[in-house]
Amino acid sequence: MGYEPLVKQNPLRVLKLTGNDKKMGLIMARAGLGKTALLVQIALDAILRGKRVLHISIGESLDKTKLWYDDMLHVILQECPVAKPHELIDMVRQHRMIMTFKVGGFDRERLAERLHDLIQQNIFTPDCVVIDGFDFAAADHAKLEDIRQLMDELKLQTWFSATSHRDDTRVSPSGVPAPCHEMDDLFETVALLKSYQDHIELEILRDNGAKAEGSSNLCLDPATMMVKQA
Amino acid sequence: MNKDLKFVRNIGISAHIDSGKTTLTERILFYTQRIHAIHEVRGKDGVGATMDSMELERERGITIQSAATYCSWKDTSINIIDTPGHVDFTVEVERALRVLDGAVLVLCSVGGVQSQSITVDRQMTRYSVPRIAFINKCDRTGANPERVVRQLREKLNLNAIMLQIPIGLEADLDGVVDLITMEAVYFEGEQGRDIRRAEIPAHLLEQAKAKREEMLDAVSMFSDELMEAMLEEGDIPAELIHDAIRKGTLSLQLAPVMMGSAYKNKGVQELLDAVQMYLPCPTDVENIALDLDNNEAEVKVSNNTADPLVALAFKLEDGRYGQLTYVRTYQGEVRKGDFIINTRTGKKVKVGRLVRMHANEMEEIDEAGSGDIIALFGVECASGDTFCGGNINWSMTSMHIPAPVISLAIKPKDTKAQDNISKALNRFCKEDPTFKSFVDHETGETIISGMGELHLDVYIERMKREYKAEVEVGAPRVAYREAITQRAEFDYTHKKQTGGSGQFGRVAGYMEPLPEGNYEFVDDIVGGSIPREFISSCDKGFQASMDKGLLTGAPINGVRMVINDGSYHTVDSSDMAFQQAAKGAFKEAYRKAGAVIMEPIMKVAVEGPSEFQGSIMGSLNQRRGIIVGTSEEASYTVVEAEMPLSEMFGYSTVLRSLTQGKAEFSMEFAAYRQVPKGVAEQLIKDFEASKKN
Repeated sequence: MGYEPLVKQNPLRVLKLTGNDKKMGLIMARAGLGKTALLVQIALDAILRGKRVLHISIGESLDKTKLWYDDMLHVILQECPVAKPHELIDMVRQHRMIMTFKVGGFDRERLAERLHDLIQQNIFTPDCVVIDGFDFAAADHAKLEDIRQLMDELKLQTWFSATSHRDDTRVSPSGVPAPCHEMDDLFETVALLKSYQDHIELEILRDNGAKAEGSSNLCLDPATMMVKQA
Repeated sequence: MNKDLKFVRNIGISAHIDSGKTTLTERILFYTQRIHAIHEVRGKDGVGATMDSMELERERGITIQSAATYCSWKDTSINIIDTPGHVDFTVEVERALRVLDGAVLVLCSVGGVQSQSITVDRQMTRYSVPRIAFINKCDRTGANPERVVRQLREKLNLNAIMLQIPIGLEADLDGVVDLITMEAVYFEGEQGRDIRRAEIPAHLLEQAKAKREEMLDAVSMFSDELMEAMLEEGDIPAELIHDAIRKGTLSLQLAPVMMGSAYKNKGVQELLDAVQMYLPCPTDVENIALDLDNNEAEVKVSNNTADPLVALAFKLEDGRYGQLTYVRTYQGEVRKGDFIINTRTGKKVKVGRLVRMHANEMEEIDEAGSGDIIALFGVECASGDTFCGGNINWSMTSMHIPAPVISLAIKPKDTKAQDNISKALNRFCKEDPTFKSFVDHETGETIISGMGELHLDVYIERMKREYKAEVEVGAPRVAYREAITQRAEFDYTHKKQTGGSGQFGRVAGYMEPLPEGNYEFVDDIVGGSIPREFISSCDKGFQASMDKGLLTGAPINGVRMVINDGSYHTVDSSDMAFQQAAKGAFKEAYRKAGAVIMEPIMKVAVEGPSEFQGSIMGSLNQRRGIIVGTSEEASYTVVEAEMPLSEMFGYSTVLRSLTQGKAEFSMEFAAYRQVPKGVAEQLIKDFEASKKN
């Protein structure tokens, strides 16, 4: 497709996004640090590799979610210009579908129903699903395991975002903060966005289903929210 | 009509189809004593609502044209433009919004913020129109005003603040609680004419207190005095709250929410009070004109009656007594017998009759001051023209007019119809800038084009009813375009020697896609290989070639033509010869430039119960659509898609049968995009076949 350089140069390669269909990943951060931006970059990376992405946005509007893609794509095209930007924009449009739900209106049954609608009628067969805004505080291990099972059956790579809170200090043995500290075993990859005085760092807490060692050497550019090498 | 502009309101009533805005207007006219009986939109008395003046509108129960009307409430004069709800007629909505100072956005308490409300709201934002929301139909089963307020905040990004809460809902709707005065308001007597204010029912008191707190918190942002009064924790004068709401509304940072049921005669008088208190008067709004004598520099209109007249013709109608021109005055006065200048044509015209409109009835007046909406008789002009008095030559900023996306061939059924058709088309084109008509010289057919199937449908009906012109209608045709995808060189010689003086011209250069704009001509000739006088002939020849592409005969878009060489003959070269050479060169290059066919893509929003989401998406997917996304809210889903217009013909019938009539859709033009290869091949084949016939 001619976007290999964009894919290869992407610092997100650290997250080992290719190869494992059944992978479930989690991006955690406190509110406002850039979880959605990171999820959208993961989605765009999949699209550039020719995959189809279903973006589920809970509690956010369709227009706002679309705007995230437009903005991130704009930054990508500014940083790494391609010969025919319109083709890339078209490709993103064709390889992405957005579903928005109200908070409290999203559960495993509804997700299954919607995915089956899409796949069985051949409307849109996703390879990757990103779920932004899932309420982990209201979920438990069993509920999330249920969703994981569904995604496994459908062979879908899935990425979640979760908000951690400053005043909740609980963490799992692998360092995953609340509210996901009791479900971290369900994720192959868990990455945490951490805010420092002048930058935001991406720390990988779990990798390949085990506690990760060492730093990712990645951070988020506070101006563009793009991931870059630290 | 009030001379003091503080007591004038020019408002529009806009909404999604079937939200009940015509019913609401009817009630407003009733309570302001402009009419003495209420006729329902689809009423059994067969009279129809007063604002739906066209026979067709009454029959269909929808409002097609914005009819202007005038009424007065307490000491304020209100001009109302009733605007259409269907997306096909958005040019009417846009035109109305251009001349309005404020608007009432009517929402159904069950349907909430629907697709058309979003379109209308976007238009209101474009023209910076302050608005009040009115949640109508609170008597309907499933009414939920709170949900609608949430949607106003989430979907329209409005700072929507409830000024009332309902007393009962659905069949139990009794009245409203006024959160400013903390009183219950009941609408009693014949047709809700008598307003009774009483204590808030005990079971609603806590809710009302909480909602008032919420309202005061939001409103106090606009008034330091109110904030201080709140901190002192004493009684807060209602005036302070009204002032703060007005400030917030005028700055477009607040949208007060009123509610009721127009059909059940509840809440309308309170809404009129809100219009009077919170919506702007003409002097609150800054309107800009362009000074045509000063390089179109922006000038602020003064609203001052003593200044020379500036007025905008925003709507034309052909009535029994000739052309009726709806005009909004921005400054100065217009009097019967005055001479005014149409700044587009420079022609001086005499004002014959001056009338104030009330739906399809009119009241003769002698003069109209600044900020008014009136109609002139017998003034020749087009919609969007500006009239000036004195020595000024201003034009009100031009209106955003979308290009037509669909066309139909029409043929008169008999010779009598032929004459009437041209009269009708002439009038429609003048009235509605999104409606176009022309004769295709190759086929001899009359083609009409517009913004959607329903848009054209209405004009065909109007030809039949108003002009007695029966027409045969061809299948709808999509307005395709052609475009090139790559650069291509040309070097073409036009040479003819057929006795007498010959023709000679050679042009060389290249064509390339033009990312923005339709056509560009670049002259890179050095050394006079083409004499200066023939350069414009080349440009003309290229431009003529843009009218009809070689693939399907559709107009070509986005081409830059560059000439960098050529040759001429001192005797045989002429304007005509170089035009022909340019046409030949265009053809030569076009074949090599990767020409493609482009089709209009529409942004479609289908709304319906969530249980039908799968079927709705399936139906869109079958029609070559790209589903952008879905928004699910409670039991309701909106599916947004980008659809080729050619696939949307007859979709309303399909959607109806798929969803038991429970879903509806709206669409608007989004962009032109390349058609898939298979479709392109078929279009080319069809074009070839039509050429042979």
